[in-house]
Amino acid sequence: MRIELGALQSEIPAIAGMELKTLCERLAMIGFPVDAVETQNGVTVLEVDVTANRGDALSHRGLARDLAAAMGAPLAPLPSVPSAEGEALLPVRLEADACPIYATAMLKIDNSRANQTPESAAAFLAAMGSNAKGMAAVDASNELLHRYGHPTHAFDADKIKGGVCVRWAKKGETLLTLDGVNRVLDTKDMVIADDSGPIALAGVIGGDSTKVVESTKRVFLESAYFDPRTVRAAARRHGVQTDASSRFGRGADIAFARAARDIYADRLVSWAGAELLASWTIGQCKQRDMEPPGAFLSKKILDRIAGEPIQLDEAKSILISLGCLVESNDDELIVRPPSWRHDLRIAEDYSEEILRIRGYDKIGATLPPMTGAPEPQPLSYQQRRVLSRRLTQLGFYQTVTLGFTSPDIDAKYADTPPEGRTLVNPLGIEYSVMRASILPSLFDAAEVNLRHGAKDVRLFEIAPVYESSLDGPDETSALAMVWAGTIGGEDPLTPARSVIVADLIAVARDLGFTGDADIIEPGQGLFGLEIPLSAFSGIEEVIPAFKPFSRYPMATRDISLLVPLNLSYGVLEASVRSALGSAPLLSVKCVDVFKDNKLTAEGKQAWLVRMRFQSFDRTLTGGEVESWVQAAITAAKQHGGVLRG
Amino acid sequence: MNLHLLPPEIEKAHGDFAGHLEACADLDAVMRLKGAYLGRDGSFAARMIDILKAAPKEQKRELGAAINALKNKWEESLKARQSALEELRRQRAAQAQSWDATLPPPLPPRGALHPLTRLIDRLVGIFRPLGYHVEEGPEAETEAHNFDGLNIPEDHPARGSADTFYFKDHPKMLLRTHTSPVQVRVLKRLAPVIEQKGGVRFLAPGRVYRKDEIDPTHSPMFHQVEGMLVGRGIGMHHLKGTLDYAIKALFGPDAATRFRPSYFPFVEPGCEVDARCPLCGGAGCRVCKGAGWVEILGAGLVHPDVLKFAGIDSDTWSGFAFGMGIERIAMMVSQTPDLRLFFENDQRFLAAMGGLD
Repeated sequence: MRIELGALQSEIPAIAGMELKTLCERLAMIGFPVDAVETQNGVTVLEVDVTANRGDALSHRGLARDLAAAMGAPLAPLPSVPSAEGEALLPVRLEADACPIYATAMLKIDNSRANQTPESAAAFLAAMGSNAKGMAAVDASNELLHRYGHPTHAFDADKIKGGVCVRWAKKGETLLTLDGVNRVLDTKDMVIADDSGPIALAGVIGGDSTKVVESTKRVFLESAYFDPRTVRAAARRHGVQTDASSRFGRGADIAFARAARDIYADRLVSWAGAELLASWTIGQCKQRDMEPPGAFLSKKILDRIAGEPIQLDEAKSILISLGCLVESNDDELIVRPPSWRHDLRIAEDYSEEILRIRGYDKIGATLPPMTGAPEPQPLSYQQRRVLSRRLTQLGFYQTVTLGFTSPDIDAKYADTPPEGRTLVNPLGIEYSVMRASILPSLFDAAEVNLRHGAKDVRLFEIAPVYESSLDGPDETSALAMVWAGTIGGEDPLTPARSVIVADLIAVARDLGFTGDADIIEPGQGLFGLEIPLSAFSGIEEVIPAFKPFSRYPMATRDISLLVPLNLSYGVLEASVRSALGSAPLLSVKCVDVFKDNKLTAEGKQAWLVRMRFQSFDRTLTGGEVESWVQAAITAAKQHGGVLRG
Repeated sequence: MNLHLLPPEIEKAHGDFAGHLEACADLDAVMRLKGAYLGRDGSFAARMIDILKAAPKEQKRELGAAINALKNKWEESLKARQSALEELRRQRAAQAQSWDATLPPPLPPRGALHPLTRLIDRLVGIFRPLGYHVEEGPEAETEAHNFDGLNIPEDHPARGSADTFYFKDHPKMLLRTHTSPVQVRVLKRLAPVIEQKGGVRFLAPGRVYRKDEIDPTHSPMFHQVEGMLVGRGIGMHHLKGTLDYAIKALFGPDAATRFRPSYFPFVEPGCEVDARCPLCGGAGCRVCKGAGWVEILGAGLVHPDVLKFAGIDSDTWSGFAFGMGIERIAMMVSQTPDLRLFFENDQRFLAAMGGLD
């Protein structure tokens, strides 16, 4: 909200001598931080941040009211203007309970006078970011809104057909509003209507047919109270936010409706020589709206929230300074909010007011006592930490990519249809589906890195992935890794080579993943693997149980086998293990694969298979080890393997 | 040495010897030279023996001495050269085997955690000694957890499709707009056992979504860390004490905090917390826009309606909650100029900003 310093000072003269920085601090400390200050041609404007609950502070008067309470300084009196309720010059009916009071006046305008708005008011409006129109009825309404916070409206009285009625819109009714939009009204819209139909959307925006123009001879003023919910809903339904709707929508001051009407009429008289024909008011400030049931603020709650004893007398005087009605009992206050505050309901609300005006800086600071035992970190969190750290040690960079994808990309990776994971209102089609796989995002990131000249790209991310289900998007966590480019070649000892599938399989094994590593190769030397976090074993929190190991010598034997090119090593190893079932076999693995053109042409390859034997209770003899080696060779023969000469 | 008794060719050979020896680059060459001068057959030494044999008797003594002297001289020189070359070979072999420490060594690969993870982990570490554990919740949330349970009115603008992503086939489901729904989940779980447990305290880090176009300061997905404590007799002073500790732990012992009244529907009283600008120390700079303070987080005492929604008696139990935007703080402390850098995943950025911790 824009606040012109001079106008604020005229509402609370005590700040006149205050340094600007001090004022900004002061405002921040009562809940209204100043986002920016601009000074142009001697006019200083503050951009003040007002929270959504404080519609009452959306004006110079409103802000001054809080400052006055905090500083213990008086507010300037409101302009003293004549107020006389007279005969209705136009029939006005209130048919919607969302409008309990409608204060109005009829004035005759001297439309021969051009530029009816005084320079000071025009300058004030300019500081508020709007241009004066030169028509007093329009400019004064605008000026009052920024100065006092109460939205008003003027109709061209001669364009009103018959009487005026505040009612709910009827199905099918339309209204051409001041912004040139022809709006189809909803039966939940509250409208100001004349005999021809709606002429304004109550509390939101006026109608085009009755707007005040330079030739307008008589104006019909409106200063009412419209229910916040109704206004908010209408503004949202019609997608139009106005200065009026943002104030009515947060709750205007019902008790100020008449005074605002009087000030408005007085402006027209003094600015433009208008003649007040009559003022009259329909409805009233209902008891319910003036005095909602009081809240009980006990000393116990206040002291608990403040962290120290606060005298109820002090609390009471603060609340009174804010305009509350306060009665006291022995150990509690019964508080009713002022008519302009719609955010005060329960003891906690009033406690905040007391602490706010005392100053949050006066609250003490202490750590709460420990109660109960701390809970362990969840396993999922620990698992993510362990995996992430291990991957960074393996040279991988953790990424953060957006959780969205496009339907086209999704189709290549998802097992479930995209519908259950699709957003109604995405930023664009490419961000419309919650991803079933992290890999496409990582492949994109890897490609960008390669384009930027990276030689060895290793990326990983642990993030949610989604499947469609009847109950909604089914969210689980997955680890995705992508590796691309060249390894090594950057120091004298490490030769360069391209990344291959085996590199990523090795990482998966290193992380403890024992399942099938389903490596995705989208081309360009990129390799990707995604593993659900559920596939990893849990975190061992304590030292695992002791497993004995042999203290006798180990025998290592290598056999070089010529095997068919299409034989899978896993098959051979399984056979060897099975053949050596009774032997104290410690390990068997293929430690070298040899393929050259000649062997390949013969459909062969050579494997160097290393076996380690070790007994728990004795030293093995050469003879028995030899017999096991022979058994292994025999097993290899079943698969076409022969000892290489 | 008296060489006048020897023929000129020997004299010349001797004159050339030093040059030949100097030219020997390796031991083989030395051996070849030795053969040529001192070898059994055809060498200069053999020639000299022949000359000695043929010499007149009276010259033999003098000539023999001269020949011996010459042979000794050659032999000594050859030996010296041989050991010099042997020493050189040893030196070179040692040099060849030794590693020049100024060469690039074979470094193990080095990756990095994402800077946002580092900051989140740091916060988790800061709160752990106070007894806070990590709680998690789904990113695809229900309207009830994201809004209803947090006292956010039905017609609150944040619920609109202009701010919040909703799922097409599941109109009551959305992408959580903050980590606060984790509060609702934990409180509901806690409600039946709150007496035994005596309350709860936790951090909820995670990703959240809002319908913002991607630009230098906005992203439709970003990170928050939520914190909550529920116990008996919890007041604003506990919130202040806790956040004061945390901000000092994050920014250093000289960090100062400022608590300002503010408003969030799920807390009452509510506040925003500023830290003294960690860059300029309060003097005013670009980062704090001259104010000397930077907003760090929003907080407050848990609204009684939030406790009631979860089934917890708000007369007995009270608490506080706070939530902070991780990207905002990360950008501030690192002076990263553009939010998008955190999501582009350029390895150069990640290597510089991330770490192995």
